[in-house]
Amino acid sequence: MSETGPQNQPDDAFMDLLVKRVTEGLSSAEQRELEVLDSGSASRHLRELERAAAAVVLAGIGRAEAPPAALSARLESQGLDFLSRAGKKVAAPRTFGWQGAAGWLAAAACLILAVFGWLRAPEPQPVANQPVPPTPAAPTVVPSAPPTVAEQRAALLARSESVKLDMSATKDPAAAGVSGDVVWDPVTQQGFLRFVGLPQNDPKVHQYQLWIFDASRDQRYPVDGGVFDIPGNSSEVLIPIHARLPVRTAKAFAVTLEKSGGVVVSGREHILVLAQAG
Amino acid sequence: MNSSVLQRIASGDTAAVRECIEQYGALVWSLARRLSRTPADAEDATQDIYLDIWRSAGRFDESQGSDKVFIAMIARRRLIDRLRKASAEPPMDAEEVLESVAWADPGNGPEISIEAEQAMRALAELRPEQRQVLELGLLQGLSQSEIAVRLGMPLGTVKSFMRRGLIKVREFMNVDAHGISAEV
Repeated sequence: MSETGPQNQPDDAFMDLLVKRVTEGLSSAEQRELEVLDSGSASRHLRELERAAAAVVLAGIGRAEAPPAALSARLESQGLDFLSRAGKKVAAPRTFGWQGAAGWLAAAACLILAVFGWLRAPEPQPVANQPVPPTPAAPTVVPSAPPTVAEQRAALLARSESVKLDMSATKDPAAAGVSGDVVWDPVTQQGFLRFVGLPQNDPKVHQYQLWIFDASRDQRYPVDGGVFDIPGNSSEVLIPIHARLPVRTAKAFAVTLEKSGGVVVSGREHILVLAQAG
Repeated sequence: MNSSVLQRIASGDTAAVRECIEQYGALVWSLARRLSRTPADAEDATQDIYLDIWRSAGRFDESQGSDKVFIAMIARRRLIDRLRKASAEPPMDAEEVLESVAWADPGNGPEISIEAEQAMRALAELRPEQRQVLELGLLQGLSQSEIAVRLGMPLGTVKSFMRRGLIKVREFMNVDAHGISAEV
């Protein structure tokens, strides 16, 4: 078939497909139809229509709002990491070096171990936008540029099996203004919590504890997702999830405030945030 | 010497990374907020978009348009991909209401790009309902079917308005760029 109609003008059906691809994307069947109609000019039309659509967006966006500072810092770190990995020359010093983060985290981990003498399985470590060293269980990474927790989370999020659930704050006063989400992959049993506004805790007194409600288990006994702390110097915190037991069907995630070290069964006096599937 | 921030990123200039975020972060973030369901989604989307910007910087061609339009194109593509993926997921509670659209005033300040001015001139020649279709599709991320339902229009009319509207904008941009009218 031809992409042109009378007077050698692009056919409306051909252009409709191009416009739809630019504005919302095509189904497989529509993409095949476009390929049938295309006699070589589709890429040029697409380029020009995409440019036109971008110009309309620029005209209509109105007053632009600055991104959150934490997000900007994360973007910069991501950009510098990318250039570094791409083998480009890196002239400017990084504002937050990987080696510095590793040292800080190692010191923090030692301190926690020394003070509390955990005998439990390793607890998830809070991370505020900085790179962390790979854990022994982590897949092999390039030593000079390990993935940041944010990158690990993004990679997990990109997996087709993963789900992302928004956290809702409860009426507990400590949860006021808290937001965040859970990313969970049932295949790899990996996940990440992301919090904004969750108050700093004093680990000597209280710790946050994650609970995972598995639809295949007794709902009175959710799976312990580990305890964690919120540092006081960051607006956003990412926390890897380490479920103590396999979770077949994650139905809900809840975070409670418990005594230091966590509990085996929560009294549920302080349920702060909830995320529910479906 | 490279002057474009994207060209500088492509050549490995780390200082350009921060400049790119300072110059275009607000644009990307505002688009992401507009076309994402929650602030958390918008943050993820912004990171996706910037990752694509770092990867694509080497393909930027000054002769094809400004940095700003190039970045807006990348942002749109990414956000459309995410919208399509999200449409397959169950609806979530507490969705943020999309902000109402305010068309920029072309004389509003130095940040208005040449391409945006061209688009404004083209949009001014469209009928209000045609502009509305473009607005819903491009700035609020609605599909053509959703626009048809929202406006109570036949789908064919929505397709036609969208096609003619975008072609009109393209025509204005090509006239300014080449002094000739593009085929319609």
